[in-house]
Amino acid sequence: MDMLQFPANIAAAAGVNFAAIMPEVILSVIAMALLLVNVFINSEQKAYLGYLSLIGIVVTFFSVVSGWGAPQSGFNNSVLQDNFSLFFKGTFLVSAFLTILITDQYLKREECNWGEIYPLILFATVGMMLMASGTDLMTIFLGLEVLSVSLYVLAGFNRANLKSNEAGLKYFLLGAFSTGFLLYGMALIYGSTGTTRVAAIASYISQNGMVLSNPMLVAGMLLMAVGFSFKIAAAPFHMWTPDVYEGAPTPMTAFMSVGPKAAGFAAFLRVFIVALPAMKADWSELLWVLAVLTMTVGNITALKQTNIKRMLAYSSIAHAGYVLVGFTAGNAVGTAGVLFYMLSYAFMNIGAFAIIVLVGRKGEENNNVSDYAGFGFKHPVLGMCMSIFLFSLAGIPPAAGFIGKFYLFSGAIQAGYVWLAIIGVLNSAASVYYYLRVMVFMYMKDPTEEFDWLAVSPSLALCLLLSVAGVLIPGIVPGTLLDLAQKAILM
Amino acid sequence: MLGAYLPIIFLVVIAAVFGFASLCFSSLIGQKKPSEVKLAPYECGCEPVGSARERFSVKFYIIAMLFILFDIEAVFLYPWAIIYKKLGMFGVMEMAVFIVILFVGYIYVWKKGALEWE
Amino acid sequence: MGYDMTGFPFLTILIFLPLATGLCLLPVWNCRPDLWRPVALAGAIAELGVACLCWPAAAAPAKGAPAGFFLFEDYPWIAEFGIRYTLGMDGLSLLLVILTAFVTLIAMLASWRPVIDRVPLHYLLILAMESGIMGVFLSLDLFLFYLFWELMLIPMFFLIGIWGHGRRIYSAIKFFLFTLAGSLLMLLAIITLYLIHGSQTGVYTFSLYGLIGTVVPHSTALWLYGAFLLAFAIKFPLFPLHTWLPDAHTDAPTAGSVILAGLLLKTGAYGLVRFGYPLFPAAAATLSPLLMVMAVTGILYASWIAFAQSDMKRLVAYSSVGHMGFVALGIAAWTPVALSGAILQMVNHGITTSAMFAMIGMLDERTGTREIDAYGNVWGKAPRLSFFFLFFAMASAGLPGLNNFVGEFLILTGSFKVSHLAVALAGIGVILPLVYTVRLIQELLFQEERRPLIIPDLTVTECGMVVVMACLDLYIGLHPGPLLDMLHSPVAILTGGAG
Repeated sequence: MDMLQFPANIAAAAGVNFAAIMPEVILSVIAMALLLVNVFINSEQKAYLGYLSLIGIVVTFFSVVSGWGAPQSGFNNSVLQDNFSLFFKGTFLVSAFLTILITDQYLKREECNWGEIYPLILFATVGMMLMASGTDLMTIFLGLEVLSVSLYVLAGFNRANLKSNEAGLKYFLLGAFSTGFLLYGMALIYGSTGTTRVAAIASYISQNGMVLSNPMLVAGMLLMAVGFSFKIAAAPFHMWTPDVYEGAPTPMTAFMSVGPKAAGFAAFLRVFIVALPAMKADWSELLWVLAVLTMTVGNITALKQTNIKRMLAYSSIAHAGYVLVGFTAGNAVGTAGVLFYMLSYAFMNIGAFAIIVLVGRKGEENNNVSDYAGFGFKHPVLGMCMSIFLFSLAGIPPAAGFIGKFYLFSGAIQAGYVWLAIIGVLNSAASVYYYLRVMVFMYMKDPTEEFDWLAVSPSLALCLLLSVAGVLIPGIVPGTLLDLAQKAILM
Repeated sequence: MLGAYLPIIFLVVIAAVFGFASLCFSSLIGQKKPSEVKLAPYECGCEPVGSARERFSVKFYIIAMLFILFDIEAVFLYPWAIIYKKLGMFGVMEMAVFIVILFVGYIYVWKKGALEWE
Repeated sequence: MGYDMTGFPFLTILIFLPLATGLCLLPVWNCRPDLWRPVALAGAIAELGVACLCWPAAAAPAKGAPAGFFLFEDYPWIAEFGIRYTLGMDGLSLLLVILTAFVTLIAMLASWRPVIDRVPLHYLLILAMESGIMGVFLSLDLFLFYLFWELMLIPMFFLIGIWGHGRRIYSAIKFFLFTLAGSLLMLLAIITLYLIHGSQTGVYTFSLYGLIGTVVPHSTALWLYGAFLLAFAIKFPLFPLHTWLPDAHTDAPTAGSVILAGLLLKTGAYGLVRFGYPLFPAAAATLSPLLMVMAVTGILYASWIAFAQSDMKRLVAYSSVGHMGFVALGIAAWTPVALSGAILQMVNHGITTSAMFAMIGMLDERTGTREIDAYGNVWGKAPRLSFFFLFFAMASAGLPGLNNFVGEFLILTGSFKVSHLAVALAGIGVILPLVYTVRLIQELLFQEERRPLIIPDLTVTECGMVVVMACLDLYIGLHPGPLLDMLHSPVAILTGGAG
């Protein structure tokens, strides 16, 4: 009757290694604790949840830092905490930290001060971290679901606002749809190789070369590419982005455009570079097309936008395109460029959204580019911050955005994708137009408003300070960060 | 080999006979006072005939969701219970983690008032 | 000269002194309006002083520097990419650095009275731009050069957009996008060259003198040089890439026009001389006929268009396109004489055209219009102003004895051996400016009054400013020797001692 046999040390056999998931564990515990604290405090005290979650993020960040340089694998090789995943985890934590800093003020303004937002952000971050360190398709999928479910709620968090509802529902429907693609792709890969471990997939393919001509494997690769493209909002799978980004609460838009996108790239890179290097010729061609489409569609559509959140949504599509350029290159420089760029993008984009939170008024009003008329002179310091973020997004030196683009395009040229790089810089030049337009309104139009309702809370000021530092310091002395990015690549 | 399944067959047969017999006896010896309500098809306490587009209170959905959540817990506990001796201390700890996570959710739901009907 | 300057970071100071001065404005931004202008002016004067102090250093070459450089600074910056903070000054840089300091000073004086709102920002931007331009003229690392090249765009964008006239926003964006599109392609060319050099030698560097001599297949070199040429030609601006310039000039405030004409255009020419030709000599030689055609077309076309302008600023803007065409012609010929002439012409044009824009700014400020038709008999109303206007207009038209004549003469002489036809056509281009200049002067100064404009004569400060510029014009026109001496060694090195 005894059909199940267990070894003596079952924990060791299952590969239990908590060091490999320490950041996830810490953050989950804190998030659950916050969930409990939330129901025992009154609504005036909700801001404490924000402070507590910031502390939690800092603690997790230390755990991430301490893991640097010492790869930990665990749970039968289904998670691997290497420099690659640690760098991404750092990026996620930075974006969660900055987002939480701008959340409090927004919640009070929109009168939706529910404490659940903080644990949800933390749970989403846990999901992202799992995606980055997952070395099994199932772990990656698990992380993706934890992330997505949290994000669906976050997108619709401002439940009194119709657009936020729409965003939540749209995100849920399209997210579920894209998850289907991803899961189907994973299933086909499993079917053709017999394993879901990324390293094992690669070794199976290298030992059984004929599997490469198996249409099931190719279809699996394509479907996974589609699934990930949805997640990183690459054209032509970007349709959900503008509506969701416009409708979602502004801090959540900031978060969604940075963290989950980076997580998508982390998993995308891990699966394609580690599991499917044998198919590089195929997928790099595919990514080439995706990159060109994504950059061009994002930038051209952004030119026409009047709502600044929508404009930054399209701009974030374009940025995914630039990052895809580095991914297409697939070499050390390009991959390190992806890592560097996603981190700098976190600072510049959330910084820009922090200003949008400030300028916006209750009910997501005052989000048009024309509402910024005269802003730069009414509030010189805030105007300067916004200009720095916009110049960085446009890729003008000496901002981190420039170094990042420089890095990505260098990778593309080194890999021989000169045309891709040329299309990239032309896109980058076109993108300058819509970033400049905001500055034109900020500095060159007469103010229509007094902007006297503006009040910068200390946490928002801290967010701006950190973002400006995160944009300018890597822009002027990028050495340390470049070094870290180069040590974090998968090759 | 098939002999091993004999008790199951007995169980099925006894259950079927018991159910059938109860129905027969009750219809034979029971008193009958038919009314409109009694003759209507049974529909869990709801009006059996009416618009299909009726709206249900959102409370039903919350209860249904919570039921599924905590039901999964029970489903997960059964197989664990079968082999928990073999899993040893490791198994106990893992299940404890699982239960704690669910318990956090339970407290949250409770304090939020999701378990109250009014 | 008697003193040792090698240890002192003159070049870093040159670059960052203006920016630091600008940052000094921040503490007094709101509280001390009386300090804004003096602080900025003091910074600009100090900068000019430092720039002039570099002149004696030319006597002794710097240690460890490439040939011809007498001031040199070199520190590692982004080691991961082989990017260094390398600055160097030779005679070519020196002249342009002094010009930059001088023209910035003029720009500040020119905006002394007209700019009344947002004064600290105005001066901060001018100073930031001076820093950027200094960086362009002193960088010997391609990455650093590119950085400054982009940096100088931003202040100009704001200067035109905030204090400009007419379609200022359109012009500001057009200016920014035009120059950016060109420079981004140059960035790709820089990266490609860097990678080619790195894969050949194993040394990844952006240093100009590390990259010179890289063996690049001719077809590739043509593309790379083409990207450089595009970026520089837009900045120059060469026909047919000049369309941003008349708009930007017309709509820019006086300080913007002065800096644009006096300095920004020079960076294009400088880039071609410092980077384009030395990095890709063969490709540059192949494409030099193209450059020559663009130059000569530009000279003739611009003069032709200038004649039809009714707005004085636009007229001078087109004349700039023509003058820069001469510079391009001299560079395209690439003989020592022509190149010296081209560089000298850059300096001349910097002074004369800045002066022209400053004078137009003064007229505009007094009357509120720049339409030539509105004026008449200015000589009768403001003789001093008219005299200097006439003087600079004549200098600009290339009157012998004044500075532009020397430059144009050298360019034509030096280019003659290279292309008779180009010189013959450009020779017409020497005469054409006289035509539209004489028309301008006649209508403006001597014709009967058409509108009753009140034009007060020059104030003492204005007088001082234009007298200095006029003296410089006259000095270079009569005695260009010291400048040409300063250029002799860098030009000889650049042209490889040929010709």
